[in-house]
Amino acid sequence: MGELINIFIKSAFIENLALSYFLGMCSYLAVSKTVKTAFGLGLAVIFVLAITMPINWAINTYLLGEGGLFGTDLTFLRLILFIAVIASMVQLVEMVVEKYSPSLYNSLGIFLPLITVNCAILGGSLFMVSKEYGFAESVSFGLGGGFGWFLAIIAIAAIREKIRYSDVPAPLRGLGMAFLLTGLMGLAFMSLMGIDLAAFN
Amino acid sequence: MGLVDFFKKIEPDKKKSPVLHTFYDAVYTFALAPDSITGPKGTQIKDGMDLKRLMVHVVIAMQLCYLFGTYNIGHQHFTAAGQYLGFIEGFHLKLAHGLILMLPIFIVTHVVGLGIEIIFAAKKGHAVEEGFLVSGALIPLIMPPDIPLWILAVAVAFAVILGKEAFGGTGMNIWNIALLARVFVFFAYPTTIAGDEVWVSGFDGLAEGTAATYGWAHNLFNTLFGWLGLDGYNAASTAVVDGYTGATPLALAYQGGWEGATAVYTPSQMWWGTIPGSIGESSKPLILIGALFLLVTKIASWRIMLSMLIGGIVGALTLNAWGATPFMEVPWYYQFFMGSFFFAMAFMATDPVTAASTNTGKWWYGFLIGFIGMIIRVLNPAYPEGWMLAILFMNTFAPLIDHYVLQSNISKRLKRA
Repeated sequence: MGELINIFIKSAFIENLALSYFLGMCSYLAVSKTVKTAFGLGLAVIFVLAITMPINWAINTYLLGEGGLFGTDLTFLRLILFIAVIASMVQLVEMVVEKYSPSLYNSLGIFLPLITVNCAILGGSLFMVSKEYGFAESVSFGLGGGFGWFLAIIAIAAIREKIRYSDVPAPLRGLGMAFLLTGLMGLAFMSLMGIDLAAFN
Repeated sequence: MGLVDFFKKIEPDKKKSPVLHTFYDAVYTFALAPDSITGPKGTQIKDGMDLKRLMVHVVIAMQLCYLFGTYNIGHQHFTAAGQYLGFIEGFHLKLAHGLILMLPIFIVTHVVGLGIEIIFAAKKGHAVEEGFLVSGALIPLIMPPDIPLWILAVAVAFAVILGKEAFGGTGMNIWNIALLARVFVFFAYPTTIAGDEVWVSGFDGLAEGTAATYGWAHNLFNTLFGWLGLDGYNAASTAVVDGYTGATPLALAYQGGWEGATAVYTPSQMWWGTIPGSIGESSKPLILIGALFLLVTKIASWRIMLSMLIGGIVGALTLNAWGATPFMEVPWYYQFFMGSFFFAMAFMATDPVTAASTNTGKWWYGFLIGFIGMIIRVLNPAYPEGWMLAILFMNTFAPLIDHYVLQSNISKRLKRA
């Protein structure tokens, strides 16, 4: 259990997908104009990450590996299958959001289906493979990574809402400021980088 | 002829030389309360207490730290050499050595920072903004005494341009300017600010027997001291004594807990601040006097200070309960003897621009700074101290905290209606 909590904290704060790996930047920059939509997208990313991670883990272990169902090394299919799983999960999320929160669905627009190609999701799955996590660990990693991404996007959204009333120099307005903010946020997030929780147990 | 007439007489033309006029305007409003504090429309406030005077109060609160910090540079220098070990022994030597290092840092900070501000203000066509008054006073206090001046200049330029002017100037920044300057040095030139040997000035390294290096300014003072019949600086006889490490109490405590720190420094030394460290952060009582001044004049928020203290205590108690390393077992009250907790609490966290602005938000903001800072200090092997990074971390989340406090107030009122 302690190990799972470590993985959660590590993936959420210490190795934040958005602010230390800079993954998922497309939707991170585009949907962070208001806290409300950022909140919705963040939740969607948490959900998709937490669902796809264990499914991809199962596929990777039981279908693609040497000891899998087919008995041969099929890891060259990994990328395609991971993306297929992610795409189908995003379809599910899209249908749910459209049914229960049409206003959020409209404000997220194209960026909701684009979660499919949000590299934070695929990146998370690939990290999970390279770190050789087990089932429970990959769930924890997915939840933590999603939570970290969620925190990053709502924090930048709140900042962008605040600086809407600032006298930002004209060339920097909009996306330029978002890039600058992301960089400075990354600087602030470096505070926790390097903590190795496992060393203390 | 009064001072006002004098100022009126030398006022440069605004159209012909905007940069000069901006500089003039800054000096004028700094020296005298301008008579047009509020415009003809809007809220009418008849009070001389404008932003500039408010900020001057913060600078006043820091003065004791300046005096002590400057002297302590010299004191640490001679402690490393094993000479004049009493605090007031060799008073003139220590003070002059401190001044020789402190003045260039102070001047470079202000020339670079204020220069950029004035250029931006002239470009935008408004009066120079007061914000650099406090940042410029804070930056020298949080730098190591022998920081290379070009690094300092780059860091100040980074903080003022990207941290402040890009956001639209004073009162608009999200992150604390002074801390941005320091965090820039910290990550861009880690050997300058994070090493063991940086905190004691005047030696090329702290290996045993390294002779002191004195420059032309020291020679100048030597001549002066010679006339007065006092001791002078003598590079030949001043060298690092055997066994001196120059490590800060936190670095020692990371290795060996409270016993490790007290093996080199006594608790009263740590409390009074006669230890190596950044220039202005070492003396706790003097900082607390400054903090008290800020509280009495109601400039700093007591909510942030109190909640940060509570957060730090809770963090330290949690780590005590965990107790996996010697540093975690340091009793919670001793954690406050080491490092720069009080400086961060009094001058950094309470910055009204970057802190949360709602009252509920302030409690959360302060508490989380205290808690996270203690976690970083104790758990993160890469960083010797946590408050700078904890405050920047919470600066990031301050707008979010405010947002949710506002939202919950709105929904509460909607329910009541």
